[in-house]
This record gives sequence, C-alpha cells and structure tokens, in this order.
Amino acid sequence: MAVTWAVARKDLRAEWRGREMLPALAQFVVLALVIANFAFDVDLTSGPRLGPGILWLVLVFAGLVAFGRAFAPEREQGSLEAMLLTPAGPAAIFAGKALAAALLLMAVEAVLLPGMAVFLGAPIGLQVVLAVLVATVGMAGLGCLFSALAAQTRARDLLLPVLALPLWIPFVVVGGRTVQAAMGGALVPGQPLVVLAALDILFVIVAALAARVVLDE
Amino acid sequence: MIAVRAAGLGQRFGSHPALAPVDLELAVGERLAVLGDNGAGKTTLLRLLATVARPASGRLELFGLDALTRRAQVRARLGYLGHQAGHYAQLTALENLEFFATLQGRGRVEAREALAGVGLEAAAGRRAAELSRGMQQRLALARAVLHRPELLVLDEPDTSLDGPGRALLGRLLGERTAVIATHDRALARGLCSRALLLRAGRAEGDPWQLRVVEA
Repeated sequence: MAVTWAVARKDLRAEWRGREMLPALAQFVVLALVIANFAFDVDLTSGPRLGPGILWLVLVFAGLVAFGRAFAPEREQGSLEAMLLTPAGPAAIFAGKALAAALLLMAVEAVLLPGMAVFLGAPIGLQVVLAVLVATVGMAGLGCLFSALAAQTRARDLLLPVLALPLWIPFVVVGGRTVQAAMGGALVPGQPLVVLAALDILFVIVAALAARVVLDE
Repeated sequence: MIAVRAAGLGQRFGSHPALAPVDLELAVGERLAVLGDNGAGKTTLLRLLATVARPASGRLELFGLDALTRRAQVRARLGYLGHQAGHYAQLTALENLEFFATLQGRGRVEAREALAGVGLEAAAGRRAAELSRGMQQRLALARAVLHRPELLVLDEPDTSLDGPGRALLGRLLGERTAVIATHDRALARGLCSRALLLRAGRAEGDPWQLRVVEA
C-alpha cells in the first residue's frame, strides 16, 4: 500500500508542479462543451436529452489523453525501469499510476460537470456525479493497463484508443443510461450504480493481474 | 562465494543475435570492467546481468538465486545504473531519492545518506531538471546505492562526471561486487580487478570465457 500511495503522490506532485496535463484537459473540456453547444444548437429542452451523450464523449476523449500520458514519459525517461528494478511489486506500481490518473480525471470532471450545467443547461444531480465517479475507477484501471502496453510501441497514440475504447463500452452504456435517466428526471434505482461498481471490481482486478505481465516484460 | 554465475546467457533482437551464449563467474567482492567499442554488446550484457532484460537463452544466478524466477529477491540485492538518468524532473533531488527509498522499503534516512554520499546535500531541494548533467549522474548513482546493494551493475557510470565525481565512484563501490562498462581504461584499471575487452563483437582474453557478437 505504501508503494501505491508513493507512486500516486509522486505523479500528482509532478503534475501539480509541472501543470502539463490538467490545464490542457480543462481547456479541452470547456472547448468541447462550447462546440457541442453550437453544433447541436442546445437549448433548455434539448440539453437534458443531448447532455448524457456529450458528457460521455468528452469524458472518453479526456480519459484517453489522461491515461495515455500515464506510462509513456516513464518509459521514455527510464524511470519505469528504475521502479521495476526495486522489490516493489508491478501490481502496486500499476495501482499507484492508475490511482493518480483516476484522480486527475476526476479533477477534469470537476470542470466538466459544472460546465455541462452552464453550457448545456443539463441538470447535474448526485446520481450523475456518482455514475461518472464510479465509472472513472474502472476506466482508469483499463486505460492505464493499455497505456502501459501501448507505451512499449511506437504507435502508442494510435494503439491506446484501439485497445481501450471497446472495453470502455460497458461503462459508457451503463453510465450513459444512468445519467440519461437522472437528467430526464426519472427515478434511477440503485442497480445501475451497482453494475458500474461490479464492472469496476472486475476490470480493476483483471488490469492489476495483467499489469504484472505487461510491466515486467 | 560466487556472486554472479551466467551459463549460456544470450540475447537476440528479432533475428539478430546481440549476445552469443555467455559463461561467466564473478566471486563476491570482485569487480569486472567491461570494455569495448560502441555496439560491442556491453549494454546488452549489463542489462541481462541486472535483470532489466530477459535473456533469449541461458541461465543467470546472482548470489545463488535464479535471477529469472526469483527476480524480486535478486533485485533487492543489486543496484543498476543505466544510460538514462531516470529522474523525475519536477521532483527535487531528495524527493527523487525518497520516492525510490519507499519502493525499496527504506526510509528518508537512507535517502539523505545516499544524497550525502554523492556530495549533493546542497542540491537536495533543487528540482532534478535544474541539476547539471554531472549532478544528475551523481543522483542516479545515489539511487543505485541507496538500498546498499551487494552487487552494482554500472553502465558507463563516469559519464559527465568531473574529477571529484569520478573519485567518488571508488568510494561508492566500497567492498561491493561490481560489473562496470566504460570506455575509460584508466578508470577501469583503477576500479576493477578484472577486465573484459569486447572488440568487434568478440571477447579478447580466455579467462573470461565470454563470447559476444556485434550488436
């Protein structure tokens, strides 16, 4: 656990000081919402209907950027090799990287969700926030796994979306329906969040197990 | 006691043989210098010995432990310095070492001691990106020894080091077993008890029983 926290703290501290990713992602989110607003001619009536689709599209692309940078710099500067040469387990190192990436994406969501309300007039309630946060955990696990895999190749920028997007579909489907129901004012039973949490557990375990092989080769 | 025992250790990159099967033994406390031109296979050999890369063939034992199946135990006992510094540019010199100390199961005390050991106490609070190339190399050396490994595998550790920096290499080695790749024969003579010369992909000198093909 100490290793996981150390890796996550290191990544977040480096991002805080370098401010390489968060400002760019926040800017991307705002621009995407502005463009969506004009492209779909969103008004108070259509906002809640179009909002869920726009939300998940923006979140998926922001996630690709956030997770795509999780391992590539480590490999380029040789620090991943240095980490793996320690007795710390690859799974703990991976968990730390995924945790930092997930927190980074949650910071982006702190811009995205209020932005949805401002630019699209979409109602952002507790159900929406919970669905997005819970989905982020599983997406981070898978995204970081494929980021580690893609970082070993030259075509990493192309490979990550090809690998990650198909496996993110369950999160987008379940999360999308949850958000759609919540924005439409329908009562959302707790089950979709349970399904999202179950997906989180499944994919985080799979990613942690696979990370041992992916990182240590 | 034997610290390093390699039997038929070889490496290929695709269809290209980078290192022909190698047999090598190094006793505890011995230091082997690996000399040779660029592309002779020095780095390939060192990466195999440091368990950074998996060999295409052969066996490697470090301190009697199979290096392929007991990697974690073996890695806890070796320190490796590669070509890349591997620092986090936004972290200070001390934060870099503290981070790796945590991964090694060590504490802040060891991180500070390692920093002092390479003469970087005054630069403890400076970000790695702000350090000169030579200071970054010292920091990389500090990371390699902070967990007090018994075996050091150093790939051109003298890179960018000034006179005092090169002098500290001897102090860092202490009584440890070491394999050092360098282009500086004078440094190799000063630090090592044995030497292996690789030329055009071949080892010169029988005592080392080492065959290397040009990468």
